[in-house]
Amino acid sequence: MRHIIKAEGLVKTYGSDAGKRRVLDGVSFTLGAGEFVAVMGPSGSGKTTLLFALSGMDRPDEGRVEFEGRELGGLGERDLADLRRTRMGFVFQQPSMLKHLNVLDNVILAALRDRRGKAAELSAKALALMEKAGIAELAARDVAKVSGGQLQRAGICRALMNDPVVIFGDEPTGALNSAAADGVLAMLEDVHRAGTAVALVTHDARVAARAGRVVFMRDGAVAAEEGLGPFARGELEARVAAVTARMRELGI
Amino acid sequence: MYYRIIKDDVAKSKGVTLATLLFIVAAAAMAASGASLAAQLFGAVDALMAAARTPHLMQMHAGPLDRGPLERFARESPLVEGYFAGEFLNINGARFVIGGRSLAGSVQDNGLWAQRPDFDLLLGLDGEPIRPEPGELYVPLAYLRSGAAALGDEATVAGRPFKVAGFVRDSQMNSPLASSKRFLVSEGDFEALRGEGAIEYLISFRLKDPAALAAFEAAYAEAGLPANGPTLSAPLFRMINAVSDGFTAALLLLAGAVAVGVAVLCVRFTLLAKIEEDYREIGVMKAVGLRVSDIKKIYLAKYACMAALGSAAGWGLAAALRGPLLSGLRQAMGEGAGAGLGPAFAALGAAAVGLALIAYVNAALGRFKRLSAAEALRFGAPSGRAARGRGLPRLSRSRLLGANALLGLKGFLADLRLYAVMVAVVGAAAFIAVVPARIHATISSPGFSAYMGVGDCDLRLDVQQADDIPGKAATLAAALEADPSVRSSVVLVAKALWAVDPSGARVRLKTELGDHGAFPVLYAAGGPPVGPDQIALSAMNAAELAKAPGDTLLVDDGSGPRELAVSGVYGDLTNGGKTAKAAFDAPAAEAMWAVAYAELADPAAAGAAAARYAAAYPWAKASDIAEFVRQTFSSTIDSVRTAAIASAALALIVAALISYLFMKMIRAKDKREDAVQWAIGFTSDDLAAQYALRAALALGCGVILGVAAAELLGEAMAGAAIRSFGAAAFRFQGTSALTALGLPACIAAAAFVAALVGARVPSGGRSEGRRAAVDSQLELLKE
Repeated sequence: MRHIIKAEGLVKTYGSDAGKRRVLDGVSFTLGAGEFVAVMGPSGSGKTTLLFALSGMDRPDEGRVEFEGRELGGLGERDLADLRRTRMGFVFQQPSMLKHLNVLDNVILAALRDRRGKAAELSAKALALMEKAGIAELAARDVAKVSGGQLQRAGICRALMNDPVVIFGDEPTGALNSAAADGVLAMLEDVHRAGTAVALVTHDARVAARAGRVVFMRDGAVAAEEGLGPFARGELEARVAAVTARMRELGI
Repeated sequence: MYYRIIKDDVAKSKGVTLATLLFIVAAAAMAASGASLAAQLFGAVDALMAAARTPHLMQMHAGPLDRGPLERFARESPLVEGYFAGEFLNINGARFVIGGRSLAGSVQDNGLWAQRPDFDLLLGLDGEPIRPEPGELYVPLAYLRSGAAALGDEATVAGRPFKVAGFVRDSQMNSPLASSKRFLVSEGDFEALRGEGAIEYLISFRLKDPAALAAFEAAYAEAGLPANGPTLSAPLFRMINAVSDGFTAALLLLAGAVAVGVAVLCVRFTLLAKIEEDYREIGVMKAVGLRVSDIKKIYLAKYACMAALGSAAGWGLAAALRGPLLSGLRQAMGEGAGAGLGPAFAALGAAAVGLALIAYVNAALGRFKRLSAAEALRFGAPSGRAARGRGLPRLSRSRLLGANALLGLKGFLADLRLYAVMVAVVGAAAFIAVVPARIHATISSPGFSAYMGVGDCDLRLDVQQADDIPGKAATLAAALEADPSVRSSVVLVAKALWAVDPSGARVRLKTELGDHGAFPVLYAAGGPPVGPDQIALSAMNAAELAKAPGDTLLVDDGSGPRELAVSGVYGDLTNGGKTAKAAFDAPAAEAMWAVAYAELADPAAAGAAAARYAAAYPWAKASDIAEFVRQTFSSTIDSVRTAAIASAALALIVAALISYLFMKMIRAKDKREDAVQWAIGFTSDDLAAQYALRAALALGCGVILGVAAAELLGEAMAGAAIRSFGAAAFRFQGTSALTALGLPACIAAAAFVAALVGARVPSGGRSEGRRAAVDSQLELLKE
């Protein structure tokens, strides 16, 4: 399998002197092209910090991260921003929309930065994505008047605008009710099936169960990995049980 | 607990907290200084006039004086407590030599005075009436301040040697606004120098009841007593004594109010941003049972500390500046009854600033009452911004503008109410910079003499305080006629006519008689009088007599009253602003002064011509018109120039500081959205460009509005102020490109740079600042 992300020996500490804390303690991680990986662990296990390090948003104190063969540590701020904009997509726990743009403008925002004058073309693509996500009718709506689940789906559409090779999600269903969460997860499954790699951080076994591989983290280190294989809807409960059992085994 | 809360809060927003604190300190210092100065001032003026036993009415008179009717009038009037007709020996400034330098260049009428025993006492700097010994010269305070005289200087007056033994506090003529200055000498020295100058009488009265001043003044005028000169009264003396320091006190209080306003804006901004940030936490506090008053205390703590600290520091600063600020006042007027109250008033002023701020914060925190705990916990802070997204430019429909330009524009429009504050402050800054600059340009321009009631000429000759004024006027007329270097000339003789005001009272009209078509002044309405039945009025007289061009006025020129048609209204800043012009002769009326205007074949030779006429006719004051304008208004022009420079500097500083502060606050408010943009691939440069556009829009609007207001309102405001001195109309003129464009551009540029610094997004590399910024952004994304 071709790896799009290869991380080795990642160390990250926060705080100073007596308050210093190792949030990542020598973590190694890989993500294959088109792979769906979930990173699970309790609060403070370092999973979000790992996500930020893998995406180049944060620089580890030790270790290296390679993205599509390029070492992120050697890149400047502009290059990292270009990578995040053109090769990656992000979905955050809280719907992260700009309040003074409507839903459609939020979706095309990052894509428009590089393609001035192509607003019409980008809007058409955005509407097609939103149609697939079932939220096309919300295009002109103010973001304050849209539900959390709908905004998360809009966030996924935004993440897909530049045809990224990977979507990163940090607890994308954490603030949603179960129905809205299912809608978001279904969309991520479709994205994955279309060939985009997905790396999700979650503490929810029902989310992790959809991944092909689950990485369990504890105290800043990888405690274990569990391969679940390709996801089929009918297998959800069994996969959830397997993940839950593994978590219990690991004491997470 | 409060200490920890305050410490954490300050640590998170050091820059904003410091800037807000500085404004509080400045406001408190200015309020304290202004209050202290005002308290001292009014007490000091009253104390000076009481110690000096200032006359309630003083009539200046040049020419022969028959004391009999005056003494009879004073004796028979039930209103008079005391009277004298003192002699002011007016001596040419060139004949005063102090410390080796003469007062030749002085515009003041300098003269000698001998101390009176009864009232109108000239005081020393110790506040006691001066009793000069022979050979001692007591010099007006103005010359100590200007550096023209020092204690112990050797001096001569008309060749007679003196020593400067001290300085005079003159309750009538202390102020630079008074055009005469009295040097105090012994009676023997006065008599020895009597023949060296012209005697002018200061006919002075003390009244039993000062409230009867208006009635007494009318009775004096009605009695036809000597009045060949200005009439001055106690309220005027009080006003001109108080005006400079009073103006300073008023300016300080006004500036303090402005600084308080800015501090309140800063506090409002940070407070509302903090409340929005803590909305959910406030909901939690309410939900667990904390009272609104308990929650308010947490937020009030920080601002109460800032208010207390700022007020105390401001009071301390005012105390440190008290000496220099009050030194001029103390020197001119001594310590008054208000001296002891100064520190108390200063403390009150500073405390008022602190209390105003706390009261505002307390009122603003009242919104906690309306905050629903349930909604706060479920939804967080309510957002009102989405509604403003409607109708604004859409990214999806953009053809020309890029993402950064659109985001910058949309951010500006979405937060228009916030940016409106920045627009208003920068607009006000532009206004207060441009208006004084334009006033200065106008009053410095050559054409301004037309507003002064001075004809547009090259040479001016004045005959004042002399006998046989008509004869001397005729001499000048003949000389000018015969002078080949003079292209044209006119001589006007001013005589005292009488008019009837709306209440039926007789009012003296100082009327210049002659051909007013030759060297016309600026008319606000109508034109110069041409025929024998016409009269033109100065703006002040027209207002007082309630007359406009086309009206008729009953005037008595000494040969009986007759109706004259008002031909025009003109501006006149000379001779107290109350004059008239007519084209007929009035042989029966008493001549007051004469003025000759001349146009020269070679205007550049005006200075030489003035010198020639001054030498040939020593009883006439000859000046080239530029020099006349400069001398008459030099102190005013200098003061306005100083005020213009100070205003421009203040405007620049305020605009830059406010821009820095506001952009910093706006950046803090929008930090989460900026973090999202960063996360999805916008760089620090992208964010900086967006903030730069917002700042440019706000500053551009502000400066344009400020300059427009200066053009529309500034001229009217300046005109209204100058109208009170007698000008009929006022138009900005003589403005250079520097003032019109350069000054607003400088303000905009300074504010823009400050805004960029305030909105700065740390960028590039692995610097400490960048690390901290990244960590902060990541924390926001985790929320």
